[in-house]
Amino acid sequence: MKYELRITGPVERVLSVLLADPAVPRYGLEISKQADLETGTLYPIMARLERARWVESRWEDPDVSITDGRPRRRYYQLTRDGAEQASRALQDLAQARHKRRSSLAAAQPGVIGVPL
Amino acid sequence: MTPQQAEAPEADLIAELHEVLWITRPDADVDLIRHAYDVAAYWHHGQTRQSGDAYITHPVAVATILARLNADDPTLCTAMLHDTIDDTPCELAALSREFGTEIAAMVGEFTRLHRIRRRGRKAAQAMAAAVSRDTRVLAVSLADRLHNMRTLQFLPQATQLRKAREVLDFFVPAAQQLVAQQLRMDSVPSELETLASAALARNRYARAASGRLVATAATLLPAATRNRWREEWLGELQTLPTRKDRGSFAAHTALGMVRLALTLRRRPADRG
Repeated sequence: MKYELRITGPVERVLSVLLADPAVPRYGLEISKQADLETGTLYPIMARLERARWVESRWEDPDVSITDGRPRRRYYQLTRDGAEQASRALQDLAQARHKRRSSLAAAQPGVIGVPL
Repeated sequence: MTPQQAEAPEADLIAELHEVLWITRPDADVDLIRHAYDVAAYWHHGQTRQSGDAYITHPVAVATILARLNADDPTLCTAMLHDTIDDTPCELAALSREFGTEIAAMVGEFTRLHRIRRRGRKAAQAMAAAVSRDTRVLAVSLADRLHNMRTLQFLPQATQLRKAREVLDFFVPAAQQLVAQQLRMDSVPSELETLASAALARNRYARAASGRLVATAATLLPAATRNRWREEWLGELQTLPTRKDRGSFAAHTALGMVRLALTLRRRPADRG
């Protein structure tokens, strides 16, 4: 399966956070905490996801932020297509990992790999 | 104008308006516009802007913005008189006697729009209603806001932020709508947007080291998206509780900037 963007480890973590409930919009700082990623890693990923149209972003309703007495937030949310592709990508990744683990487990110690 | 007044800054502004009109509207009724100036100057006499300038400099600047956009005579007079009803004892009936019903109605419509906003009702609705009525009044409203945004630094910070947000949320869309209606205001929406975003970027933490770092790093980003990211980050920054948190946020965000800039500069066609 080929995706429009490379699913690196950090991308995978961002997608898991967003997929936890695709209906809930989340803001950058929130995603960065939940995915345990620094903002310097997170924002470029969000920009890539947005360009690939997996994710959409929009400003929070100003009335809400004014009532809460803070600047308005930029909210990110998976698009419908993005949610589908993301969950497929995560499944594929999990499968590939499982396969690799079982093939490693089947291998005889000492038969592969170089002697220390 | 009397010779004593000729030294005042408004004399320069009036001269500038005349020059602009000479180029964009050689057929303009200069006497009528001049009369609108005199009436506005009479009513605003003694009032000052936050900048310390005489208040009359503002309506003249608004009229000049509109003159550059080839606005017609009633629009230019409305621009001159736009604050007389709300900010001075002047009454619409007096304007109607001096300038006729068309101009008085436009000033009245401007005032109505302005009051709706002041009452805090959904301003987008007010703007939408205005678009359906006289687009010239909306043009005055936009030019008024544009001049206010150009002179925003003289207002208190909280007011700056509120006004800037208002501009981004409905003045820019309204201006774009006017452009779509071919009203020759093509430069207005982008200038409004730039000024408003800059004001938001100057928020509480923008001057602190962390805010400056984020704002400086953001200059690496393509111009079209820069303001959005800057506002997003300065907003997040403001919600962080300690200085250490803010410093760390700024440092990490700045570190990611080159990668973000590369992502944003890549053409969308390169996807996949």
